[in-house]
Amino acid sequence: MTKVLDNIRLYGSFLKTSLKEMLVYRLDCIVGMTSQMVTQAVEIIFIWIVFQNTENLAGWNFMQIMLLYGITLLSVGIADFCFDALYDIGPKYIREGDFDKILLRPVHPLLSIIGGSKEFTSLGYFLLGLIITIIMLVKLAIPITIFLILKIVFFSIVGALIIGGINTICSISSFWTYRSNEFIWSVYQIYTFAQYPIDIYNGFIKFLITVILPFAFVAYFPTMNYLGWDIYLIYLSPIVAIVLWIIAVKVWNLALNKYRSTGN
Amino acid sequence: MAIIEVENLVKTYKILQKQDGLIGYFKNLVRPKYKELTAVKGINFNIEEGELVGYIGENGAGKSTTIKMLTGLLTPTSGKIVVNGIVPYEKRIENNKSIGAVFGQKTQLWWDLPVIESFRLIKQMYKLPDGEYRKNLKKFTQILELEELLDKQVKNLSLGQKMRCEIAATFLHNPKIVYLDEPTIGLDVFVKENIRKFIKDINREKKTTVILTTHDLKDIEDVCNRIILLDQGEIIYDGDKQKFKDIYGKYVFAELVVSNKNGKLSDTITLNGCEIVEETEKSIKIKFNHEETTIMQILNTISNHCVVEDIHMREAELEDILKEIYKGAHKC
Repeated sequence: MTKVLDNIRLYGSFLKTSLKEMLVYRLDCIVGMTSQMVTQAVEIIFIWIVFQNTENLAGWNFMQIMLLYGITLLSVGIADFCFDALYDIGPKYIREGDFDKILLRPVHPLLSIIGGSKEFTSLGYFLLGLIITIIMLVKLAIPITIFLILKIVFFSIVGALIIGGINTICSISSFWTYRSNEFIWSVYQIYTFAQYPIDIYNGFIKFLITVILPFAFVAYFPTMNYLGWDIYLIYLSPIVAIVLWIIAVKVWNLALNKYRSTGN
Repeated sequence: MAIIEVENLVKTYKILQKQDGLIGYFKNLVRPKYKELTAVKGINFNIEEGELVGYIGENGAGKSTTIKMLTGLLTPTSGKIVVNGIVPYEKRIENNKSIGAVFGQKTQLWWDLPVIESFRLIKQMYKLPDGEYRKNLKKFTQILELEELLDKQVKNLSLGQKMRCEIAATFLHNPKIVYLDEPTIGLDVFVKENIRKFIKDINREKKTTVILTTHDLKDIEDVCNRIILLDQGEIIYDGDKQKFKDIYGKYVFAELVVSNKNGKLSDTITLNGCEIVEETEKSIKIKFNHEETTIMQILNTISNHCVVEDIHMREAELEDILKEIYKGAHKC
Protein backbone atom coordinates (compact mmCIF):
# COMPACT_ATOMS: atom_id res chain seq x y z
CA MET A 1 0.00 0.00 0.00
CA THR A 2 2.81 2.42 0.86
CA LYS A 3 4.29 1.58 -2.52
CA VAL A 4 1.09 2.66 -4.25
CA LEU A 5 1.00 5.90 -2.23
CA ASP A 6 4.66 6.55 -3.04
CA ASN A 7 3.95 6.09 -6.72
CA ILE A 8 0.95 8.42 -6.60
CA ARG A 9 3.04 11.06 -4.82
CA LEU A 10 5.81 10.63 -7.36
CA TYR A 11 3.30 10.93 -10.19
CA GLY A 12 2.10 14.16 -8.59
CA SER A 13 5.65 15.50 -8.62
CA PHE A 14 6.17 14.49 -12.23
CA LEU A 15 2.92 16.20 -13.15
CA LYS A 16 3.88 19.35 -11.27
CA THR A 17 7.20 19.35 -13.10
CA SER A 18 5.44 18.95 -16.45
CA LEU A 19 3.13 21.85 -15.62
CA LYS A 20 6.13 24.03 -14.81
CA GLU A 21 7.81 22.99 -18.04
CA MET A 22 4.69 23.79 -19.98
CA LEU A 23 4.15 27.19 -18.38
CA VAL A 24 7.59 28.18 -19.67
CA TYR A 25 5.92 28.33 -23.07
CA ARG A 26 3.06 30.67 -22.21
CA LEU A 27 2.21 31.84 -25.69
CA ASP A 28 2.31 28.29 -27.12
CA CYS A 29 -0.09 27.39 -24.38
CA ILE A 30 -2.65 30.03 -25.31
CA VAL A 31 -2.42 29.47 -29.07
CA GLY A 32 -2.70 25.69 -28.65
CA MET A 33 -5.74 25.89 -26.40
CA THR A 34 -7.55 28.34 -28.64
CA SER A 35 -7.03 26.30 -31.79
CA GLN A 36 -8.27 23.15 -30.09
CA MET A 37 -11.45 24.95 -29.05
CA VAL A 38 -11.99 26.20 -32.60
CA THR A 39 -11.69 22.65 -33.96
CA GLN A 40 -14.32 21.49 -31.53
CA ALA A 41 -16.59 24.42 -32.38
CA VAL A 42 -16.65 23.19 -35.98
CA GLU A 43 -17.89 19.80 -34.80
CA ILE A 44 -20.58 21.38 -32.66
CA ILE A 45 -21.83 23.40 -35.61
CA PHE A 46 -21.98 20.19 -37.61
CA ILE A 47 -24.12 18.48 -34.96
CA TRP A 48 -26.36 21.54 -34.85
CA ILE A 49 -26.86 21.40 -38.61
CA VAL A 50 -27.81 17.73 -38.38
CA PHE A 51 -30.49 18.66 -35.89
CA GLN A 52 -31.89 21.31 -38.20
CA ASN A 53 -33.04 18.37 -40.29
CA THR A 54 -34.21 15.98 -37.65
CA GLU A 55 -35.97 16.16 -34.31
CA ASN A 56 -34.01 13.45 -32.60
CA LEU A 57 -31.36 10.80 -33.03
CA ALA A 58 -32.39 7.40 -31.64
CA GLY A 59 -34.53 9.19 -29.11
CA TRP A 60 -31.92 11.79 -28.13
CA ASN A 61 -32.63 15.47 -28.80
CA PHE A 62 -30.01 18.12 -29.55
CA MET A 63 -29.44 19.16 -25.95
CA GLN A 64 -29.08 15.58 -24.74
CA ILE A 65 -26.54 14.87 -27.48
CA MET A 66 -24.68 18.03 -26.50
CA LEU A 67 -24.61 16.90 -22.87
CA LEU A 68 -23.04 13.63 -24.00
CA TYR A 69 -20.60 15.66 -26.09
CA GLY A 70 -19.65 17.85 -23.13
CA ILE A 71 -19.23 14.91 -20.76
CA THR A 72 -17.04 13.17 -23.36
CA LEU A 73 -14.84 16.26 -23.70
CA LEU A 74 -14.28 16.34 -19.94
CA SER A 75 -12.76 12.85 -20.00
CA VAL A 76 -10.94 13.42 -23.27
CA GLY A 77 -9.44 16.64 -21.88
CA ILE A 78 -8.16 14.92 -18.75
CA ALA A 79 -6.92 11.88 -20.69
CA ASP A 80 -5.07 13.94 -23.29
CA PHE A 81 -3.43 15.95 -20.56
CA CYS A 82 -2.38 12.95 -18.47
CA PHE A 83 -1.50 10.35 -21.08
CA ASP A 84 -0.22 12.38 -23.98
CA ALA A 85 3.39 11.23 -23.58
CA LEU A 86 2.39 7.69 -24.59
CA TYR A 87 2.50 9.00 -28.15
CA ASP A 88 6.15 9.93 -27.64
CA ILE A 89 7.43 6.46 -26.71
CA GLY A 90 8.11 5.32 -30.28
CA PRO A 91 9.07 8.49 -32.13
CA LYS A 92 10.81 10.27 -29.28
CA TYR A 93 11.97 8.01 -26.46
CA ILE A 94 12.95 4.91 -28.41
CA ARG A 95 14.03 6.46 -31.67
CA GLU A 96 16.17 9.14 -30.05
CA GLY A 97 17.54 6.79 -27.41
CA ASP A 98 16.02 8.55 -24.40
CA PHE A 99 14.26 5.36 -23.46
CA ASP A 100 17.36 4.01 -21.72
CA LYS A 101 17.39 6.85 -19.25
CA ILE A 102 13.76 6.09 -18.37
CA LEU A 103 14.68 2.44 -17.83
CA LEU A 104 17.49 3.43 -15.46
CA ARG A 105 15.19 5.15 -13.01
CA PRO A 106 14.09 3.35 -9.86
CA VAL A 107 10.42 3.60 -10.88
CA HIS A 108 8.27 1.80 -13.41
CA PRO A 109 8.94 3.29 -16.87
CA LEU A 110 5.23 3.77 -17.52
CA LEU A 111 4.98 6.06 -14.51
CA SER A 112 7.98 8.07 -15.72
CA ILE A 113 6.61 8.37 -19.23
CA ILE A 114 3.02 9.18 -18.31
CA GLY A 115 4.27 11.64 -15.69
CA GLY A 116 6.19 13.42 -18.44
CA SER A 117 3.03 14.35 -20.34
CA LYS A 118 2.57 18.03 -20.99
CA GLU A 119 -0.16 18.44 -23.56
CA PHE A 120 -1.49 21.81 -22.45
CA THR A 121 -3.79 22.26 -25.44
CA SER A 122 -6.08 19.57 -24.04
CA LEU A 123 -7.04 22.01 -21.30
CA GLY A 124 -9.01 23.69 -24.09
CA TYR A 125 -11.04 20.49 -24.52
CA PHE A 126 -11.62 20.30 -20.82
CA LEU A 127 -12.79 23.92 -20.53
CA LEU A 128 -15.10 23.61 -23.49
CA GLY A 129 -16.47 20.35 -22.07
CA LEU A 130 -17.12 22.06 -18.76
CA ILE A 131 -18.98 24.98 -20.36
CA ILE A 132 -21.12 22.73 -22.56
CA THR A 133 -21.92 20.37 -19.67
CA ILE A 134 -23.05 23.18 -17.38
CA ILE A 135 -25.19 24.88 -20.04
CA MET A 136 -26.85 21.62 -21.03
CA LEU A 137 -27.53 20.53 -17.44
CA VAL A 138 -29.28 23.87 -16.89
CA LYS A 139 -31.20 23.76 -20.17
CA LEU A 140 -32.30 20.17 -19.57
CA ALA A 141 -33.46 21.21 -16.07
CA ILE A 142 -31.37 18.53 -14.42
CA PRO A 143 -30.91 19.61 -10.78
CA ILE A 144 -27.23 20.29 -10.11
CA THR A 145 -26.76 18.69 -6.72
CA ILE A 146 -23.51 18.08 -4.85
CA PHE A 147 -24.03 14.39 -5.50
CA LEU A 148 -24.29 14.97 -9.25
CA ILE A 149 -21.16 17.13 -9.24
CA LEU A 150 -19.22 14.48 -7.34
CA LYS A 151 -20.51 11.82 -9.73
CA ILE A 152 -19.45 13.82 -12.78
CA VAL A 153 -16.00 14.53 -11.33
CA PHE A 154 -15.45 10.90 -10.36
CA PHE A 155 -16.70 9.35 -13.58
CA SER A 156 -14.86 11.88 -15.75
CA ILE A 157 -11.64 10.72 -14.12
CA VAL A 158 -12.66 7.07 -14.54
CA GLY A 159 -13.44 7.83 -18.20
CA ALA A 160 -10.02 9.37 -18.64
CA LEU A 161 -8.48 6.25 -17.09
CA ILE A 162 -10.37 4.05 -19.57
CA ILE A 163 -9.01 6.10 -22.47
CA GLY A 164 -5.54 6.02 -20.87
CA GLY A 165 -5.71 2.24 -20.47
CA ILE A 166 -6.64 1.72 -24.11
CA ASN A 167 -3.87 4.12 -25.20
CA THR A 168 -1.36 2.31 -22.98
CA ILE A 169 -2.21 -1.07 -24.48
CA CYS A 170 -1.81 0.40 -27.98
CA SER A 171 1.47 2.04 -26.99
CA ILE A 172 3.25 -1.32 -26.84
CA SER A 173 3.43 -1.01 -30.62
CA SER A 174 6.25 1.45 -29.87
CA PHE A 175 8.56 -1.48 -29.26
CA TRP A 176 8.20 -2.53 -32.89
CA THR A 177 7.62 0.67 -34.80
CA TYR A 178 8.69 4.29 -34.42
CA ARG A 179 5.37 5.36 -35.84
CA SER A 180 3.44 3.98 -32.91
CA ASN A 181 1.93 7.41 -32.28
CA GLU A 182 -0.13 7.07 -35.45
CA PHE A 183 -1.34 3.63 -34.42
CA ILE A 184 -2.39 4.81 -30.95
CA TRP A 185 -4.10 7.83 -32.48
CA SER A 186 -6.07 5.81 -35.01
CA VAL A 187 -7.38 3.42 -32.37
CA TYR A 188 -8.16 6.35 -30.09
CA GLN A 189 -10.26 8.02 -32.76
CA ILE A 190 -12.79 5.21 -32.43
CA TYR A 191 -14.03 7.03 -29.33
CA THR A 192 -15.87 9.38 -31.71
CA PHE A 193 -18.46 6.60 -32.14
CA ALA A 194 -19.26 6.85 -28.45
CA GLN A 195 -20.09 10.56 -28.76
CA TYR A 196 -23.47 9.55 -30.24
CA PRO A 197 -26.20 7.20 -28.99
CA ILE A 198 -24.99 3.66 -29.63
CA ASP A 199 -28.44 2.58 -30.81
CA ILE A 200 -27.78 4.22 -34.18
CA TYR A 201 -25.02 1.68 -34.93
CA ASN A 202 -25.11 -1.90 -36.12
CA GLY A 203 -24.15 -4.84 -33.94
CA PHE A 204 -20.49 -4.83 -34.86
CA ILE A 205 -19.82 -1.23 -33.87
CA LYS A 206 -21.85 -1.66 -30.69
CA PHE A 207 -19.71 -4.66 -29.79
CA LEU A 208 -16.57 -2.76 -30.71
CA ILE A 209 -17.19 0.23 -28.46
CA THR A 210 -18.59 -1.65 -25.49
CA VAL A 211 -16.46 -4.79 -25.35
CA ILE A 212 -13.30 -4.59 -27.48
CA LEU A 213 -12.52 -0.92 -26.95
CA PRO A 214 -14.95 0.03 -24.17
CA PHE A 215 -15.20 3.71 -25.05
CA ALA A 216 -18.96 3.60 -24.32
CA PHE A 217 -18.08 3.44 -20.62
CA VAL A 218 -16.20 6.75 -20.82
CA ALA A 219 -19.18 9.06 -21.25
CA TYR A 220 -22.11 7.29 -22.89
CA PHE A 221 -23.26 5.13 -19.96
CA PRO A 222 -22.50 7.86 -17.42
CA THR A 223 -24.58 10.36 -19.43
CA MET A 224 -27.45 7.84 -19.55
CA ASN A 225 -27.26 7.86 -15.76
CA TYR A 226 -27.22 11.66 -15.49
CA LEU A 227 -30.28 11.78 -17.75
CA GLY A 228 -31.98 9.20 -15.55
CA TRP A 229 -32.33 6.67 -18.37
CA ASP A 230 -30.07 3.94 -17.16
CA ILE A 231 -29.03 3.92 -13.55
CA TYR A 232 -26.73 0.92 -13.32
CA LEU A 233 -24.40 0.59 -16.29
CA ILE A 234 -22.38 3.60 -15.13
CA TYR A 235 -21.13 1.59 -12.15
CA LEU A 236 -19.41 -0.85 -14.47
CA SER A 237 -17.08 1.94 -15.62
CA PRO A 238 -14.64 1.74 -12.66
CA ILE A 239 -14.45 -2.05 -13.07
CA VAL A 240 -13.75 -1.64 -16.78
CA ALA A 241 -11.02 0.88 -15.95
CA ILE A 242 -9.35 -1.40 -13.40
CA VAL A 243 -9.45 -4.45 -15.69
CA LEU A 244 -8.05 -2.42 -18.58
CA TRP A 245 -5.15 -1.16 -16.51
CA ILE A 246 -4.30 -4.61 -15.17
CA ILE A 247 -4.16 -5.87 -18.75
CA ALA A 248 -2.26 -2.77 -19.89
CA VAL A 249 0.52 -3.07 -17.32
CA LYS A 250 0.84 -6.84 -17.88
CA VAL A 251 1.19 -6.64 -21.66
CA TRP A 252 3.42 -3.60 -21.39
CA ASN A 253 5.84 -5.47 -19.13
CA LEU A 254 5.84 -8.46 -21.46
CA ALA A 255 6.57 -6.27 -24.48
CA LEU A 256 9.33 -4.47 -22.59
CA ASN A 257 11.01 -7.76 -21.68
CA LYS A 258 10.89 -8.87 -25.28
CA TYR A 259 12.36 -5.55 -26.35
CA ARG A 260 15.20 -5.84 -23.85
CA SER A 261 16.19 -9.28 -25.02
CA THR A 262 16.39 -8.39 -28.70
CA GLY A 263 18.32 -5.17 -28.23
CA ASN A 264 18.05 -2.15 -30.41
CA MET B 1 32.15 -11.03 -2.02
CA ALA B 2 32.53 -9.12 -5.22
CA ILE B 3 30.01 -6.36 -5.89
CA ILE B 4 29.83 -7.30 -9.57
CA GLU B 5 30.16 -10.88 -10.75
CA VAL B 6 30.12 -11.72 -14.43
CA GLU B 7 30.36 -15.29 -15.65
CA ASN B 8 30.46 -16.55 -19.24
CA LEU B 9 28.49 -13.57 -20.42
CA VAL B 10 27.33 -13.76 -24.04
CA LYS B 11 25.21 -11.40 -26.09
CA THR B 12 24.18 -12.21 -29.62
CA TYR B 13 22.23 -9.78 -31.74
CA LYS B 14 20.10 -10.71 -34.69
CA ILE B 15 20.64 -8.08 -37.32
CA LEU B 16 18.89 -7.55 -40.56
CA GLN B 17 21.07 -8.42 -43.50
CA LYS B 18 20.95 -5.50 -45.90
CA GLN B 19 20.57 -6.27 -49.57
CA ASP B 20 21.67 -3.82 -52.19
CA GLY B 21 19.49 -1.74 -54.41
CA LEU B 22 15.84 -0.89 -54.34
CA ILE B 23 14.90 -4.46 -55.21
CA GLY B 24 16.99 -5.67 -52.33
CA TYR B 25 15.08 -3.40 -49.98
CA PHE B 26 11.80 -4.81 -51.23
CA LYS B 27 13.10 -8.34 -50.80
CA ASN B 28 13.96 -7.43 -47.22
CA LEU B 29 10.46 -6.20 -46.69
CA VAL B 30 8.90 -9.45 -47.87
CA ARG B 31 11.35 -11.96 -46.48
CA PRO B 32 13.89 -10.41 -44.16
CA LYS B 33 17.18 -12.24 -43.78
CA TYR B 34 18.91 -12.06 -40.46
CA LYS B 35 22.43 -12.80 -39.49
CA GLU B 36 23.77 -13.27 -36.02
CA LEU B 37 26.37 -11.04 -34.51
CA THR B 38 27.99 -11.94 -31.23
CA ALA B 39 28.97 -8.72 -29.54
CA VAL B 40 30.15 -10.23 -26.26
CA LYS B 41 31.73 -13.67 -26.35
CA GLY B 42 31.68 -15.32 -22.95
CA ILE B 43 33.48 -12.86 -20.70
CA ASN B 44 34.28 -13.29 -17.01
CA PHE B 45 35.25 -10.77 -14.36
CA ASN B 46 34.64 -9.82 -10.75
CA ILE B 47 34.74 -6.28 -9.44
CA GLU B 48 35.19 -5.53 -5.75
CA GLU B 49 33.53 -2.68 -3.92
CA GLY B 50 35.36 0.61 -4.29
CA GLU B 51 37.32 -0.31 -7.41
CA LEU B 52 37.84 2.22 -10.19
CA VAL B 53 37.79 0.19 -13.37
CA GLY B 54 38.60 1.41 -16.84
CA TYR B 55 36.63 -0.60 -19.36
CA ILE B 56 38.29 0.03 -22.66
CA GLY B 57 38.39 -1.17 -26.20
CA GLU B 58 37.90 0.01 -29.75
CA ASN B 59 34.52 1.01 -31.15
CA GLY B 60 32.39 -2.07 -31.51
CA ALA B 61 34.45 -4.11 -29.06
CA GLY B 62 31.35 -4.77 -26.96
CA LYS B 63 31.81 -2.18 -24.21
CA SER B 64 28.39 -0.58 -24.41
CA THR B 65 26.69 -3.94 -24.76
CA THR B 66 28.33 -5.11 -21.53
CA ILE B 67 27.34 -1.93 -19.69
CA LYS B 68 23.78 -2.27 -20.94
CA MET B 69 23.63 -5.80 -19.61
CA LEU B 70 25.14 -4.80 -16.27
CA THR B 71 22.50 -2.08 -15.89
CA GLY B 72 19.68 -4.41 -16.92
CA LEU B 73 18.84 -2.50 -20.10
CA LEU B 74 19.60 -5.64 -22.09
CA THR B 75 19.03 -9.28 -21.28
CA PRO B 76 22.07 -11.50 -21.93
CA THR B 77 21.83 -14.34 -24.42
CA SER B 78 23.55 -16.57 -21.88
CA GLY B 79 25.76 -16.32 -18.83
CA LYS B 80 25.38 -14.90 -15.37
CA ILE B 81 25.49 -11.40 -13.91
CA VAL B 82 25.06 -10.56 -10.25
CA VAL B 83 25.31 -6.93 -9.24
CA ASN B 84 25.17 -6.16 -5.54
CA GLY B 85 23.38 -9.46 -4.96
CA ILE B 86 20.77 -8.79 -7.64
CA VAL B 87 20.38 -10.14 -11.16
CA PRO B 88 19.92 -6.79 -12.95
CA TYR B 89 17.89 -7.98 -15.94
CA GLU B 90 15.43 -9.79 -13.69
CA LYS B 91 14.98 -7.09 -11.07
CA ARG B 92 15.85 -3.98 -13.01
CA ILE B 93 14.02 -1.44 -10.87
CA GLU B 94 15.48 -2.93 -7.67
CA ASN B 95 18.93 -2.75 -9.22
CA ASN B 96 18.39 0.84 -10.37
CA LYS B 97 18.10 2.01 -6.76
CA SER B 98 21.75 1.37 -6.06
CA ILE B 99 23.32 2.41 -9.35
CA GLY B 100 23.94 5.60 -11.28
CA ALA B 101 24.78 5.93 -14.95
CA VAL B 102 25.89 8.49 -17.49
CA PHE B 103 25.54 7.63 -21.16
CA GLY B 104 27.55 9.99 -23.32
CA GLN B 105 25.57 12.99 -24.41
CA LYS B 106 22.18 11.82 -23.15
CA THR B 107 20.93 13.89 -20.27
CA GLN B 108 18.82 12.68 -17.38
CA LEU B 109 18.00 16.26 -16.40
CA TRP B 110 14.69 17.97 -17.19
CA TRP B 111 15.48 20.07 -20.21
CA ASP B 112 13.19 23.05 -19.69
CA LEU B 113 13.65 23.46 -15.96
CA PRO B 114 16.33 24.85 -13.66
CA VAL B 115 18.91 22.26 -12.65
CA ILE B 116 17.84 22.29 -9.01
CA GLU B 117 14.35 21.04 -9.97
CA SER B 118 15.90 17.92 -11.49
CA PHE B 119 17.92 17.35 -8.32
CA ARG B 120 14.76 17.62 -6.23
CA LEU B 121 12.95 15.07 -8.40
CA ILE B 122 15.91 12.71 -8.20
CA LYS B 123 15.90 13.08 -4.43
CA GLN B 124 12.25 12.09 -4.40
CA MET B 125 12.61 9.23 -6.87
CA TYR B 126 15.41 7.61 -4.88
CA LYS B 127 13.83 8.50 -1.51
CA LEU B 128 16.98 10.24 -0.35
CA PRO B 129 16.68 11.64 3.21
CA ASP B 130 16.76 15.46 3.51
CA GLY B 131 20.01 15.52 5.45
CA GLU B 132 21.87 13.36 2.94
CA TYR B 133 20.50 15.41 0.07
CA ARG B 134 21.63 18.71 1.55
CA LYS B 135 25.04 17.32 2.47
CA ASN B 136 25.65 15.91 -1.01
CA LEU B 137 24.30 18.96 -2.76
CA LYS B 138 26.60 21.21 -0.76
CA LYS B 139 29.66 19.10 -1.39
CA PHE B 140 28.96 18.52 -5.09
CA THR B 141 28.23 22.20 -5.65
CA GLN B 142 31.59 23.02 -4.18
CA ILE B 143 33.72 20.44 -6.04
CA LEU B 144 31.98 20.76 -9.40
CA GLU B 145 31.48 24.53 -9.10
CA LEU B 146 27.74 24.43 -9.64
CA GLU B 147 26.83 27.47 -7.53
CA GLU B 148 25.75 29.64 -10.42
CA LEU B 149 24.26 26.85 -12.52
CA LEU B 150 21.59 25.54 -10.16
CA ASP B 151 19.01 28.18 -11.06
CA LYS B 152 19.64 28.06 -14.80
CA GLN B 153 17.51 26.12 -17.24
CA VAL B 154 19.26 22.99 -18.47
CA LYS B 155 18.80 23.95 -22.12
CA ASN B 156 20.78 27.14 -21.53
CA LEU B 157 23.85 25.38 -20.16
CA SER B 158 27.02 24.80 -22.14
CA LEU B 159 28.18 21.23 -22.74
CA GLY B 160 30.69 21.37 -19.91
CA GLN B 161 28.23 22.90 -17.49
CA LYS B 162 25.62 20.32 -18.41
CA MET B 163 28.01 17.43 -17.88
CA ARG B 164 29.05 18.73 -14.46
CA CYS B 165 25.37 18.87 -13.45
CA GLU B 166 24.84 15.45 -14.99
CA ILE B 167 27.66 13.94 -12.95
CA ALA B 168 26.27 15.53 -9.79
CA ALA B 169 22.81 14.13 -10.59
CA THR B 170 24.30 10.67 -11.09
CA PHE B 171 26.06 10.56 -7.72
CA LEU B 172 23.36 12.41 -5.77
CA HIS B 173 21.54 9.38 -4.36
CA ASN B 174 24.75 7.73 -3.06
CA PRO B 175 24.80 4.93 -5.62
CA LYS B 176 27.02 1.97 -4.78
CA ILE B 177 28.00 1.52 -8.40
CA VAL B 178 28.30 4.13 -11.12
CA TYR B 179 28.65 3.40 -14.83
CA LEU B 180 30.17 6.21 -16.83
CA ASP B 181 30.04 5.75 -20.58
CA GLU B 182 32.11 8.46 -22.27
CA PRO B 183 31.53 11.10 -19.59
CA THR B 184 34.21 13.46 -20.86
CA ILE B 185 33.47 13.38 -24.58
CA GLY B 186 33.74 16.82 -26.14
CA LEU B 187 34.77 18.60 -22.94
CA ASP B 188 37.65 20.98 -22.43
CA VAL B 189 40.66 20.08 -20.29
CA PHE B 190 39.54 22.00 -17.21
CA VAL B 191 36.12 20.40 -17.06
CA LYS B 192 37.68 16.99 -17.65
CA GLU B 193 40.07 17.50 -14.76
CA ASN B 194 37.25 18.75 -12.59
CA ILE B 195 35.17 15.67 -13.28
CA ARG B 196 38.08 13.30 -12.73
CA LYS B 197 38.85 14.90 -9.40
CA PHE B 198 35.22 14.59 -8.40
CA ILE B 199 35.11 10.88 -9.23
CA LYS B 200 38.27 10.23 -7.24
CA ASP B 201 37.06 12.25 -4.25
CA ILE B 202 33.70 10.50 -4.05
CA ASN B 203 35.32 7.10 -4.51
CA ARG B 204 37.72 7.76 -1.66
CA GLU B 205 34.98 8.97 0.63
CA LYS B 206 32.08 6.65 -0.16
CA LYS B 207 33.81 3.63 -1.68
CA THR B 208 31.65 4.06 -4.77
CA THR B 209 32.55 1.49 -7.41
CA VAL B 210 33.07 3.16 -10.77
CA ILE B 211 33.19 1.57 -14.19
CA LEU B 212 34.43 3.98 -16.78
CA THR B 213 34.45 3.55 -20.52
CA THR B 214 36.14 6.26 -22.48
CA HIS B 215 38.24 6.93 -25.51
CA ASP B 216 40.25 9.55 -23.65
CA LEU B 217 42.88 7.39 -22.02
CA LYS B 218 43.97 10.30 -19.85
CA ASP B 219 40.73 9.67 -17.95
CA ILE B 220 41.81 6.10 -17.29
CA GLU B 221 45.38 7.12 -16.56
CA ASP B 222 44.18 9.62 -13.99
CA VAL B 223 41.21 7.88 -12.40
CA CYS B 224 41.41 4.10 -12.68
CA ASN B 225 43.52 1.56 -10.91
CA ARG B 226 42.36 -1.42 -12.91
CA ILE B 227 41.94 -1.98 -16.61
CA ILE B 228 39.71 -4.39 -18.45
CA LEU B 229 40.60 -4.37 -22.11
CA LEU B 230 38.07 -5.71 -24.53
CA ASP B 231 38.68 -6.66 -28.11
CA GLN B 232 36.08 -8.10 -30.47
CA GLY B 233 33.88 -9.23 -27.62
CA GLU B 234 36.62 -10.88 -25.59
CA ILE B 235 38.67 -9.69 -22.66
CA ILE B 236 42.33 -9.56 -23.61
CA TYR B 237 43.64 -7.97 -20.45
CA ASP B 238 42.21 -7.66 -16.96
CA GLY B 239 44.29 -6.39 -14.10
CA ASP B 240 46.29 -3.66 -12.50
CA LYS B 241 46.90 -0.54 -14.58
CA GLN B 242 50.55 -0.19 -13.60
CA LYS B 243 51.25 -3.85 -14.34
CA PHE B 244 49.67 -3.41 -17.75
CA LYS B 245 52.09 -0.60 -18.47
CA ASP B 246 55.01 -2.59 -17.10
CA ILE B 247 54.29 -5.62 -19.24
CA TYR B 248 53.31 -3.97 -22.47
CA GLY B 249 54.90 -0.58 -22.15
CA LYS B 250 58.57 -1.30 -21.57
CA TYR B 251 59.60 1.04 -24.29
CA VAL B 252 60.46 4.71 -24.16
CA PHE B 253 59.93 7.42 -26.72
CA ALA B 254 62.63 9.98 -27.43
CA GLU B 255 62.86 12.89 -29.79
CA LEU B 256 66.38 14.01 -30.75
CA VAL B 257 66.98 17.48 -32.11
CA VAL B 258 69.93 17.15 -34.51
CA SER B 259 71.97 19.12 -37.02
CA ASN B 260 74.56 18.36 -39.71
CA LYS B 261 72.86 15.17 -40.60
CA ASN B 262 74.18 13.32 -43.67
CA GLY B 263 71.44 11.46 -45.43
CA LYS B 264 68.76 9.32 -43.99
CA LEU B 265 69.91 7.56 -40.82
CA SER B 266 67.39 4.79 -41.06
CA ASP B 267 69.08 3.70 -44.29
CA THR B 268 72.64 3.83 -43.04
CA ILE B 269 72.63 2.55 -39.48
CA THR B 270 71.05 -0.30 -37.54
CA LEU B 271 70.27 0.08 -33.86
CA ASN B 272 69.68 -2.90 -31.61
CA GLY B 273 66.39 -2.73 -29.70
CA CYS B 274 65.60 0.66 -31.10
CA GLU B 275 63.30 1.73 -33.88
CA ILE B 276 63.32 5.01 -35.76
CA VAL B 277 59.69 6.09 -35.86
CA GLU B 278 60.00 9.33 -37.75
CA GLU B 279 62.89 11.22 -39.25
CA THR B 280 63.23 14.73 -40.65
CA GLU B 281 66.13 17.07 -41.41
CA LYS B 282 66.15 18.49 -37.87
CA SER B 283 64.72 15.74 -35.69
CA ILE B 284 64.62 12.02 -35.16
CA LYS B 285 61.91 10.25 -33.23
CA ILE B 286 62.87 6.91 -31.77
CA LYS B 287 61.28 4.22 -29.69
CA PHE B 288 63.39 1.78 -27.72
CA ASN B 289 63.11 -0.96 -25.16
CA HIS B 290 64.56 -0.40 -21.69
CA GLU B 291 65.81 -3.91 -21.34
CA GLU B 292 67.55 -4.22 -24.67
CA THR B 293 69.41 -0.95 -24.93
CA THR B 294 70.01 2.39 -23.23
CA ILE B 295 69.84 5.94 -24.48
CA MET B 296 73.63 6.25 -24.13
CA GLN B 297 74.25 3.36 -26.51
CA ILE B 298 71.85 4.86 -29.02
CA LEU B 299 73.41 8.30 -28.76
CA ASN B 300 76.86 6.80 -29.25
CA THR B 301 75.84 5.34 -32.56
CA ILE B 302 73.81 8.27 -33.76
CA SER B 303 76.34 10.94 -32.86
CA ASN B 304 78.74 9.39 -35.36
CA HIS B 305 76.42 10.60 -38.10
CA CYS B 306 75.20 13.93 -36.81
CA VAL B 307 75.33 16.41 -33.93
CA VAL B 308 72.73 15.81 -31.23
CA GLU B 309 71.66 19.13 -29.76
CA ASP B 310 68.76 18.23 -27.51
CA ILE B 311 66.80 15.22 -26.25
CA HIS B 312 63.18 14.91 -25.10
CA MET B 313 62.16 11.63 -23.57
CA ARG B 314 58.87 10.26 -22.36
CA GLU B 315 57.56 6.95 -21.05
CA ALA B 316 55.05 5.05 -23.13
CA GLU B 317 51.53 6.09 -22.18
CA LEU B 318 48.45 3.97 -22.24
CA GLU B 319 47.56 5.32 -25.63
CA ASP B 320 50.86 4.22 -27.15
CA ILE B 321 50.50 0.78 -25.64
CA LEU B 322 46.98 0.36 -26.89
CA LYS B 323 47.97 1.47 -30.37
CA GLU B 324 50.63 -1.24 -30.36
CA ILE B 325 48.13 -3.83 -29.22
CA TYR B 326 45.52 -2.87 -31.80
CA LYS B 327 48.14 -2.83 -34.53
CA GLY B 328 49.32 -6.29 -33.54
CA ALA B 329 47.50 -9.54 -33.94
CA HIS B 330 44.78 -8.52 -31.49
CA LYS B 331 46.59 -10.58 -28.93
CA CYS B 332 48.40 -9.60 -25.78
